[in-house]
Amino acid sequence: MSNYLKLVNFELNRFIKLYMVLIGVTIVSQLVGAVLVSRRYLKDVNQAIYEDGMSQSSFIEQFGQFSFYDFGMSLWFVGPIALSIVVLLIYVFFIWYRDWFAKNTFIYRLLTLPTARLNVYLSKATTIFLMVLGLVALQLILIPIESRVLEWMVPLDFRNDLSLDQIIEQLHVMSVLIPQSILQFIRNFGIGFMSVFIVFTAILLERSFKWKGILLGILYGAFTIGLYVLPGVLESLISPGYFYQSEKFFIAIAMVVIISSLSIWLGRLLLKYKVTV
Amino acid sequence: MIEVTNMQKKFGRKKVLQGVSFTANKGEITCLIGVNGAGKTTILNAIMNLTPLNSGQVLMDGQLINKKSYEKITFIPDAITMLPQMRIKEAMQFMADFYKSWNQQRANEMISFFKLNKEDKISTLSKGNTAKVNLLLGLALDVDYILMDEPFSGIDIFSREQIADVFTSHLIEDRGVIITTHEINDIEHLIDKAILLGDGQVIKQFNAEEIREQEGKSVIDVMREVYIK
Repeated sequence: MSNYLKLVNFELNRFIKLYMVLIGVTIVSQLVGAVLVSRRYLKDVNQAIYEDGMSQSSFIEQFGQFSFYDFGMSLWFVGPIALSIVVLLIYVFFIWYRDWFAKNTFIYRLLTLPTARLNVYLSKATTIFLMVLGLVALQLILIPIESRVLEWMVPLDFRNDLSLDQIIEQLHVMSVLIPQSILQFIRNFGIGFMSVFIVFTAILLERSFKWKGILLGILYGAFTIGLYVLPGVLESLISPGYFYQSEKFFIAIAMVVIISSLSIWLGRLLLKYKVTV
Repeated sequence: MIEVTNMQKKFGRKKVLQGVSFTANKGEITCLIGVNGAGKTTILNAIMNLTPLNSGQVLMDGQLINKKSYEKITFIPDAITMLPQMRIKEAMQFMADFYKSWNQQRANEMISFFKLNKEDKISTLSKGNTAKVNLLLGLALDVDYILMDEPFSGIDIFSREQIADVFTSHLIEDRGVIITTHEINDIEHLIDKAILLGDGQVIKQFNAEEIREQEGKSVIDVMREVYIK
């Protein structure tokens, strides 16, 4: 356990600079964006009312009140989230391949540590999970602050204040990342983490069997995706609407647990018996 | 003792190792000798369980290599196995964090012996100094067996002399060493056992001292006989 925690700490430190950049870009982009997007709205208000002679009520009727949704759909808000997702997706691969292909072959050291090699696998996965959860937590802190910025910028008459729940509900990307119920949270993040395990194991297949491993990795990915959707496909083919929503949810969770366990088990075997430096 | 029995390894269709067997004793320096591609590095990787074998077995003191073995055996590859952005002191801290067998006193001794600066970043070191740090990270572990892959490869004459000095010091004494090298001249007088490899097989293995006494031949003489026919 202690070696696992040490490895997690080590892996976190390896990514911390880039992670801090992501956090910085997110904070700056979203806060600056909150000011700029609301100023642009105010500019439209001023132009319509003071230059074009439109009344306040007809402006609101025609263009609507300003809400977090307007800002939340802007590139300033969505951009850094998309950037973070892309960087983390790349990092899922990079976290392994850099140990083989960087100037110094650190994989020799990792695989000859006096600890179970599974700890290397789990520490890398944990690092990804902590990074994802950290960015989601950052968003939960930033949204109320950004709401306050919008309140400062746009007069009460022109804006429609939304609660945190409403903001998350209205913005699709947020409703996936920060689901409204704990069960949805478990399912969404379960699927995310399961995907990381599948990719990790596919990478280890490639590292173990080289060219054949690429094919094996792709086949493994296809097999696990097939396994995940199998209950739903069978239901729709045999007896559509057979399962209640709650049953579908628990089947999804069961598949996440089964596929994650399978991936970790296979990853452990590959690291122990097949992987090559 | 490290016992390598009938080691076989294929890369694709190419048979790199075809039934390699030998033993390496504690307290002795065993040298694997062969031209490039003879399978020397693959043998060391396989001993450390860093590449799977097609068949064969490696035992260390009668046991298969497992996670606990890495407190008793270490591998010093030809490239340093630490992150380039680490300082030497951070690399030592990493070793201290994970290995119970890490001996900080010995590490400090080697820092002085090699005239290294703990604050230096690994990426800024010369090739010779990088090799010394690599050696330090392996030798400062209180392990019974040390595997070294080409420790003299591509480094300057003075660094080579310093590294060769290590072999006659207490840093190596009583340990079992398996070394691969092209630069046989640097350590010929230190080798206890030589294993000559060719085409993935052991062509000849002999005790250097015995062949010197009985046949009046050096390791290089035997190599000449075997490889230049």
